[in-house]
Amino acid sequence: MKAGKGILFAVFVLTLIALPSLVSGYWLRVLTQTFLFASIATGSNIIIGYTGYPAFGNIAFFGVGAYVTGVLSTKYGMSFISTLPFCALSGIVLAILLGIPILRLKGHYFAIATVGVMETFRELIDNMTELTGGGMGLTLPIMKLGPESIYKYFYYAMLLCMLFALLLSYIVSKIKLGYALRAIKVDEDAASVMGINTPLYKTIAWALSASVVGLSGGIYAYWISYIDPNTVFVGAYSVKMFAMILLGGAGTVFGPLIGAFVLELISEVVWSKFIAIHGMVLGLLIILIILFIPKGLFETFKGGFSFKKLLSNLKENSL
Amino acid sequence: MALLEIKGLNTGYGDLRILRDISMEVNEGEIVALLGSNGAGKSTLMRTIVGLQRTWSGEVGMGGKSITNASSGTIVKSGISIVPEGRRLFAGMTVAENLEMGAYCNRKDIKHRIDKIFQDFPRLYERRNHLAGDLSGGEQQMCAVGRALMNEPRVLLIDEFSLGLAPTVVDALTEVVYEINRRGVSILIVEQDVQMVLEISSRAYVMEVGAITLSGDSKELLGNSKIKEAYLGLE
Repeated sequence: MKAGKGILFAVFVLTLIALPSLVSGYWLRVLTQTFLFASIATGSNIIIGYTGYPAFGNIAFFGVGAYVTGVLSTKYGMSFISTLPFCALSGIVLAILLGIPILRLKGHYFAIATVGVMETFRELIDNMTELTGGGMGLTLPIMKLGPESIYKYFYYAMLLCMLFALLLSYIVSKIKLGYALRAIKVDEDAASVMGINTPLYKTIAWALSASVVGLSGGIYAYWISYIDPNTVFVGAYSVKMFAMILLGGAGTVFGPLIGAFVLELISEVVWSKFIAIHGMVLGLLIILIILFIPKGLFETFKGGFSFKKLLSNLKENSL
Repeated sequence: MALLEIKGLNTGYGDLRILRDISMEVNEGEIVALLGSNGAGKSTLMRTIVGLQRTWSGEVGMGGKSITNASSGTIVKSGISIVPEGRRLFAGMTVAENLEMGAYCNRKDIKHRIDKIFQDFPRLYERRNHLAGDLSGGEQQMCAVGRALMNEPRVLLIDEFSLGLAPTVVDALTEVVYEINRRGVSILIVEQDVQMVLEISSRAYVMEVGAITLSGDSKELLGNSKIKEAYLGLE
């Protein structure tokens, strides 16, 4: 990281730390939600952006993470914080077990398989009524704090989760593993003949990615304090996550974070007035991103904004 | 002494058997040519040696140790590198990064080794910070050869050496291959230009529909009537 960027990032983080004493509860909730999606997008970027495996159903780990916290805190009386390592662990274990068969698939086939995984978990949890409450959902214990403090508590918890995701993503991009993942993304066979153990590295990438998504699911569950299968295994979240990664720039450390902030804040300010066509706008946005900024905001406008770049991207794409 | 040794190798895709009882060897310090028309199974054989394709039966040995169905890391560490068909460079990485990837399993003295590659290919030094995808075909092939050499292999496999390259570039690259061989690296080369490859190699194998049908000294094969007819278009 260059010094300038480092300072910019430090200012960004300090601002976020200071904000709760300056803004209303409504904006705290909006920002907490933004951190949540930034965590999911940044974590998923490790498998999607770095490795080139479109894990469309990564929200499966989010749902499982939410239920791990839910079940452990209601049935086993564990405290919120002590459930979190298990959320991350659930993601890691599931990604390893599922990765061994599924990561042999590529491209669309892999994407579809992960969607299948997500639907399977939704059905499983829906039918494990004794443990999970099934369709009735699960009500989590509410913290014995005032509403103001609760907002702040989860604001900081989610902020930490997001920073953890960023740190993990940054480290992965800098170490030997990151180079291996980049090679796998470009040409898996060529990576393999360099001596890279591609099945192992792909699995590690998915497991790291799943740990972040699982962790954010756990925090989300306690924050929202009521979960049912349909509120945590949400296909629309997958679309949103993908749009954020694409918007910011897949394969960059900060891209998904930027994508999440831009998309969440815009959606809060503008689209909340058009609830009915919210999904349509998201779809339209994805099309526009692919046409005009296929490399994402971060890569495209590194050297400053220009319309020329937008047009030249469109021309290249139409070839 | 046989460095790379293949015995009774069978493999294929799905139910389809491609390679039938392939036995061949590459000795220390040799250049060996592998000839055959399209679909004969040359590339499948190469893929099997580097571990991209599993063997059904038979043995692949390197330096006296079996590397049959070994992990790609083990195979690379045993001293085998490949210049794959179509180069297969990492397009989004720079030339220097591509070379570094070649040393993925063995990062000792990496700077020194990169310098050595740049001495062999001054053109790559000039282009070291360019993306591999932006290079010309000849430069890409140099980069692919350089990447393979970064592993300091004892056997270098080259698949479709001159495919899509200008004749002058092929001549220059052939010189480099000679030079690499003089330093003691054995070479197994797949090449469509039969005349050229028989001139630079000491021995050759000819494959047809997945089996080796002819083998021997390259100079003798150049005079072989079957080779003349099938590959050189001479009567």
